[in-house]
Amino acid sequence: MKNKGLGEFEELVLLAVCILDKEAYGLSVKREVEKHSGRSILLGAVHITLYRLQDKGLLRSEMGGNTEKRGDRRKRLFTITDAGMRQLRAAQDVRRKMWQLIPQLKLGL
Amino acid sequence: MKDDRKSKPPLLANWLASKFINEALLEEFFGDLKEIYEERIATRGKFYAKCMYWIDTLHLMIGFTSFNLFKTQNNPTIMSKHYLIISIRNLSRNKAYSIINILGLAVGMGVCLTIFQYVYFELSHDRFHNNFENTFRITLDENKNGMDNLRATTTFALGPSAKETIPEIKEYVRIHRQDDATVINPDKNEPFKELARDMLFVDKTFLQVFNFPLKLGSKESVFDNKFNIVITEKTARKYFGTDNPIGKTLKVGGEFSPGDFIVSGVLEELPINSHLQFEFLLPLEHLLEFANFGMFKNSDGWSRNYFMTYVIIDESANLDLVREKLDQLIVKYKGKRNSNKNVVEKVGLQPLSDIYLNSDVYSRSGYVINKGDVQNIQFFSIIAVFILFIAWVNYINLSTARSMYRAKEVGVRKSIGAFRRQLISQFMIESVLLNLIAALLSIGIAFSTLPVLSQIIGKELEMNVLEIPLFWAGFSVVIIFGALLSGSYPAFVLSAFKPVSMLGANKTVRAGKISLRKGLITFQFLISLLLISGTYLVYKQITYMKNQELGLDMEKILVLDGFDKLMDSTGIATIQAFKTEVTRHSSISSVATSAKIPGKGYHQEVSIRKVGAPESENKNSSVFWQYIGIDFPETYDFEFVAGSSFTQDQSNRNDGLGLIINEEAVRVYGLVSPEKAIQEKLIISGKPRAIRIVGVVKDFHWHSLREAYTPYLFGFNPRRVNHISLKINLSNIQESIAYIKSTYKAFFPDNAFEYFFLEDEFNKQYQADVQFGNLFLAFTALAIFIACIGLFALVSYSATLRIKEIGIRKVLGASIGNLMILLSKEYFTLLLIAAILAAPAIIYWGGSWLENYAFRINMGIDLLMIPTLTLLFISLLTVSHRTYSTAKTNPVDSLRKE
Repeated sequence: MKNKGLGEFEELVLLAVCILDKEAYGLSVKREVEKHSGRSILLGAVHITLYRLQDKGLLRSEMGGNTEKRGDRRKRLFTITDAGMRQLRAAQDVRRKMWQLIPQLKLGL
Repeated sequence: MKDDRKSKPPLLANWLASKFINEALLEEFFGDLKEIYEERIATRGKFYAKCMYWIDTLHLMIGFTSFNLFKTQNNPTIMSKHYLIISIRNLSRNKAYSIINILGLAVGMGVCLTIFQYVYFELSHDRFHNNFENTFRITLDENKNGMDNLRATTTFALGPSAKETIPEIKEYVRIHRQDDATVINPDKNEPFKELARDMLFVDKTFLQVFNFPLKLGSKESVFDNKFNIVITEKTARKYFGTDNPIGKTLKVGGEFSPGDFIVSGVLEELPINSHLQFEFLLPLEHLLEFANFGMFKNSDGWSRNYFMTYVIIDESANLDLVREKLDQLIVKYKGKRNSNKNVVEKVGLQPLSDIYLNSDVYSRSGYVINKGDVQNIQFFSIIAVFILFIAWVNYINLSTARSMYRAKEVGVRKSIGAFRRQLISQFMIESVLLNLIAALLSIGIAFSTLPVLSQIIGKELEMNVLEIPLFWAGFSVVIIFGALLSGSYPAFVLSAFKPVSMLGANKTVRAGKISLRKGLITFQFLISLLLISGTYLVYKQITYMKNQELGLDMEKILVLDGFDKLMDSTGIATIQAFKTEVTRHSSISSVATSAKIPGKGYHQEVSIRKVGAPESENKNSSVFWQYIGIDFPETYDFEFVAGSSFTQDQSNRNDGLGLIINEEAVRVYGLVSPEKAIQEKLIISGKPRAIRIVGVVKDFHWHSLREAYTPYLFGFNPRRVNHISLKINLSNIQESIAYIKSTYKAFFPDNAFEYFFLEDEFNKQYQADVQFGNLFLAFTALAIFIACIGLFALVSYSATLRIKEIGIRKVLGASIGNLMILLSKEYFTLLLIAAILAAPAIIYWGGSWLENYAFRINMGIDLLMIPTLTLLFISLLTVSHRTYSTAKTNPVDSLRKE
């Protein structure tokens, strides 16, 4: 399944992890994605995606940072790997290239 | 987040998640869930947060278990995934079938849930009091000459002396109820009439024994003064609006305990599951000291059983011993008087939580107006179990009927090596899936049927069983049990077929015995018939009662209900002036005063004989005996058979307040004939003088038609004015009422103006019957729905079995009509059998129900015919679609593959 590119949601999640920079765990990622995309997302969806991305080697994670709000439970903090960064860039590149190919006329509309 | 203790996330969800999700992931998930839960409570409320918590948890569970499934490659997991896919495909391929099947199950379960909620609510009464397990009501069993008389009230002195002498009794509270009274807030000058049942006179300890939380005031000191009064929040709003009522005055009128009371406490809204329902709490002390009722204190308060007494008993105490000690107390203080009267009194201790359901056995039920019925609960529970069971059986029916289509699939599976066990588990998984969907739907159905039930029983029910973890455990057990039960039959039958018979040309598959299913359908028909017939009977009787000539003219009568004024001679003059003034209005033709109005008042046991008869001829019978004013007979159109109404000069006569009686009284007291009765006088026990009969009226219905004609005696007394009846023209009601109101206010400024139309009020006597009818109707609709599902299943099944036969018949020239009759014929035979079976049951139960009514309809053949025709029509609708499509099939399709 590797190197098949990123799904749209996967891309959003990866971007959110990058934005949050060392503070990315399930709930914060959910909030971040909701904030930017404007849609509401189930917590489970975020978790599933995070783990899938980790299995693909695009993310890595460690446990840490418990707060009282969570009933003294630790969170799993995700950070992006080099492979993940490459994938994001690749996705961005593909888009940019394709955008450039759209005839100028249409863009004006 | 004001209360941390309450904001705990659902434990059951956590527990479930911990079973399904890998432990390594749990800490993180729970952390996230908890965090988001708190956030949602703060922003969207607790209910939303709980729901979302569940959804999130379930989502995570599904996400992370299937996640694992995708990664594991062992055979059983792949197979179960495969089963799941096949099940879902099967369900979505036969949409109509799946919908009917799921809907049938869901309706059954939903109704079951609703009933469960109702039963739970009924059983929850009075369990909110902290000490409910140790609180008891003292009851008395009065045995006189071997006849038991149970009462829920005791003497005034029993409570205090019990607390004093019996160490196990830790606290007591006495409750008493008086009479209707007018209450007014002097600052606002708007009087209201309050019913006796809403005004309880209680001991100081009331709020310590019962947990009715105070919104304002402290429970230790609210009754420090005997002029204090405690009201509920609702009443506070009624009298004081948004002002703080504490320290304000309420003037309570009425004959028994009038006075100015100072509001010392406001109670929060009373829970609806409390048997005590009231609006005012007044100090008992006040009643004893100021009320015109020294008799409570006669014989040191040991004479009359007027008080409900509740006691808190030490939890380690031996109840039998306490009861014995109470008996001894009664013997000590009342023994002599009791033995003179040949009475033996025994004390009972009724647990607090038992009072709501078991109060009817007591002759004075102790002012409990909020009463439940154990039989109702049993009846409901039986219905619930029955409905659930029928729903499962229908599921079996439908699945076996469908199994024909699955035979080939089973054959192929078997021939390429499926074990029987695997086939069984496949069908089981389907069944579990279907049951789960139905269970989810059923919760929605329960939510939507609960308001209907609430409306029928007249109480606002909430779906609060869903908050109890134990309920969910029970619910899951029911679902799993149901899934296994209903899945096992098709699973075992289908998996037992030989592959050859299923794949070969001559398919001879017959799933199960058809006679069982026919029996079931007949049974369902029978139940439906009985229920339809019951509904029809109840409604017919109610209509009959409402339309019957009553012999009294109630149609145009408006009753003023708020009147309560001590009548003296000036009072009588004021009433007279009011009557004159009010009848000036063209649409008001007459005005009458009386102590009671039709539909109200009770019969009493009174001994009566005519003058001249020996005392042995005293007739001791149930009599309705009331005082009326002079215009009453005219206003209500009494139809005189002999004599006449009271005349004005009679009021001055010495002996003669005079008596108007009905024909039944003529018969009962041996007065020979109405004409002869006019000459007679009646001796009524307890009355100093014999009273002359001035008129005899035709029998009439003063009470509901449940009651037979009994002797009615009306005495003349202009002082007894509790109701004022006005006969008005119905053409311009609003204007007339406005006129009456302004006149009334001018004459009686400190009385409440409350009115109703007598006919509406009279018909309220049939409310219980109407409720009963509505419940019946609800169950009828349900039973018919379920029966239709069963019928549909059977028709589908047999149509499939006979598809070849139909093909051949068609080829030979049978028309669609012929074939439809052929296919539906047998069900109508079943319906006929059911009708025959139903007849005796209808006659028996219908007859015994009608016996409650003195005036009743005759049971005719329509009681059987109408339900049968209704059911015939409904089942025709159900069956026709299926038979039509079967009859229309192209014979080529059904015969080609032979």
